[in-house]
Amino acid sequence: MKQDFSVALYSGVSKSTTFIERLITGLAEQNIDVYIFGLNNGKPQKSKHVIYKTYSGKLHKLYVFLKYSLGLFLFKNNEKKRLDRFIKSQDQNKFHLRLKYYPVLYHSPTIFHVQWAKGLADWMWVKDFGIKLVLSLRGAHINYSPIANPELAEMYRFNFPQIDAFHAVSQAIGQEAENYAANKEKIQVIYSGISKTSLIPFKKKIVSKKDDLYILSVGRQHWIKGYSYALQAVRKLLDKKVKVNYTIIGGANSEELLYLINELGINNEIILTPKMDYENVLYHMQKADVLLIPSVCEGLANVAVEAMALGLPVVSSNAGGMPELVIHNKTGLLYENRNIVDMVDKLLYFNTMTEKEITSMATNAFQKVSEQHNWENFKSAFYTFYKDQISIT
Amino acid sequence: MKIGLVLSSTPGYSETFFTSKIKRLQDHGFKVVLFTQSRNEDFVLCQVIKAPKVYKNAVLQLVSMILTLTKLITSVATVVKYIRLEREENTSTLNIIKKVYLNSHVLSQKVDWLHFGFATQAIGSELVAKAIGAKMAVSFRGFDISIYPLKNKNCYELLWKHVDKVHTISNDLLEIALNLGLSKHHAIQKITPAIDVEKFHKNGEEPSKQSVIEILTVARLNWKKGITDTLHALQILKNMGYKFNYTIVGNGDDYERIVYAIYQLDLVDYVNLVGKKNVNEVIDIYANSNLYIQCSISEGFCNAVLEAQAMGLLCVVSSAEGLSENIIDRKTGWVVPKCNPEALAQKLIEVLNLPEDQKSLIRKNAIQRVKSDFTIEQQIKKFVTFYS
Repeated sequence: MKQDFSVALYSGVSKSTTFIERLITGLAEQNIDVYIFGLNNGKPQKSKHVIYKTYSGKLHKLYVFLKYSLGLFLFKNNEKKRLDRFIKSQDQNKFHLRLKYYPVLYHSPTIFHVQWAKGLADWMWVKDFGIKLVLSLRGAHINYSPIANPELAEMYRFNFPQIDAFHAVSQAIGQEAENYAANKEKIQVIYSGISKTSLIPFKKKIVSKKDDLYILSVGRQHWIKGYSYALQAVRKLLDKKVKVNYTIIGGANSEELLYLINELGINNEIILTPKMDYENVLYHMQKADVLLIPSVCEGLANVAVEAMALGLPVVSSNAGGMPELVIHNKTGLLYENRNIVDMVDKLLYFNTMTEKEITSMATNAFQKVSEQHNWENFKSAFYTFYKDQISIT
Repeated sequence: MKIGLVLSSTPGYSETFFTSKIKRLQDHGFKVVLFTQSRNEDFVLCQVIKAPKVYKNAVLQLVSMILTLTKLITSVATVVKYIRLEREENTSTLNIIKKVYLNSHVLSQKVDWLHFGFATQAIGSELVAKAIGAKMAVSFRGFDISIYPLKNKNCYELLWKHVDKVHTISNDLLEIALNLGLSKHHAIQKITPAIDVEKFHKNGEEPSKQSVIEILTVARLNWKKGITDTLHALQILKNMGYKFNYTIVGNGDDYERIVYAIYQLDLVDYVNLVGKKNVNEVIDIYANSNLYIQCSISEGFCNAVLEAQAMGLLCVVSSAEGLSENIIDRKTGWVVPKCNPEALAQKLIEVLNLPEDQKSLIRKNAIQRVKSDFTIEQQIKKFVTFYS
């Protein structure tokens, strides 16, 4: 049965990150109408509950603009006039603002859920039209951008107190948001959920290591991923006569990484590949001995959740929310963020672990993921999260 | 003699190397013409010839090609020669058409030397000098030799075959180029960067003893500059109880990376990111600093290190490419292994604890060496012989 509320998930584009797409799927499975606004870059969801109201190309933008201008004029003229007054007061291209805002006002979802905090200021107006405003706390937008950009921090401090509720991807990022005046009572941690059934074909069967330690990292090349630290750790492992192969999926063509690999003389031990599709990543996880997360900044890495669900041991930095998933010596190994010596120590320790110890750690990790990142729990947590907002007047 | 310099754009006001080189070459009787992709309207030092534009729109591109190729009618013999040379290198017809278009601004000119300011700029134009009857020169500067070929294997094969003379700013870059296939039998001349020693001049005595050490780096905020390594080293000093202010002059893409490292390494009260400064402001900052760090991961030579030495700062640099020629270890400063914050920290502690007379000697040596070996006058004399 269709739910009595609707949610707009706004990330600026119609095809978003894995986490956001999973959230859309989860909501649609619960018969919640999900509106997607913004620029059309693909429509991956096929459910009738996912309603794309997007625009693309000059002519289509003009069509969308005219359609919603007329629609609002005929059916919500007072609201349109109020919104127009607000748009006039803004120091931005008025056509673009109308194109962006009119569809939202016309459809007026019960909840408008902003996915990326940097764009929050654009959407504060929805509150004046009775729409609940919810913000996700994730990644760079909370962890480091406001540290580097005082104006952004100021914008957060001004707007966060007016937000109806926050969704945090980890406890750590929730605490970080409190530095910018986010009300602790309004922050709810909902860990990402994964459906384990899709991973069964890739479940890791053998945990014993071969002669070479096969280390895997997955993620685009960006300084927050800390690959430069990982490459130096590989050099140190080789100096300690440990045979290592290290693959970074998503690291191809990075000048910084290529230069370091060459300088450190580890060309034969490192493979940088382009970004891969999901199944290929899982295939590589199945083959690897250990997943390394060298990030200096991390909300809570989904790739670690997937690895642990597959039975691949994880060695991670203690950045951000990682300690909430990787409990040292129980569900994985943790090292001190930015500390290469500690990273090497933990990899060396992993290399000396017995098959029984690794199996035990992988079992604990699987258990942790099954409880903390359960797909059904994820869906119901979001359902309750939204439902709670409606009940608050 | 007419020199054609190939650069991506006309040098900006702050790019003193190219502007002073052009001025001084003109003073020595050379005619200079610049071939660039873009032009700053303020630039009036010499004639500038812009490369034809590449359009995304196919119709505009076609029209531009027809117009551009029509203009080459007066240089038919040169174009025919160029096509023949490209054919000898087995270039496809389509690529020849593209190359004629992209190089048309040079093919219509007559110069004695066609000098590519960076090796990367010669890619796709390796046969142009021969076609117009000029000699071909290329400069090695850093990124073009140390980094670009890692992503683009064998990118300089044709350049090595046709270049007449090579200018390198350091022996280390030359060594890398030799490993990339450049023949050692080529005419090669090392001409290091230079600075205006009148401007970067130490007026007073050594800075008086301060309770807080003033440490400085002048660099673009980019991974190549190794600023994160420097911050790791300074964290060690901080944990040992040293009191210092570390000033970083410059801006760049890695601003967030560096701010976040400062935050995570708990150095917020110790580091000042002051952004880009003009020459006079930088001189003031040098004058108020004690110690200069350039812990680059990759570095062609580094003018800032020359300036710091001229200003009497104690310099600790990494072993990246030209830096170990810029500083003579333990004579004009100190060289530490690159990508090694522990080694840098150890060296900084050693330097800070040196007796004053030893520090003075190093400062004196550095000032003397910059004054005698790295002046613009000397550099230009070398360029005059380069083209002779």
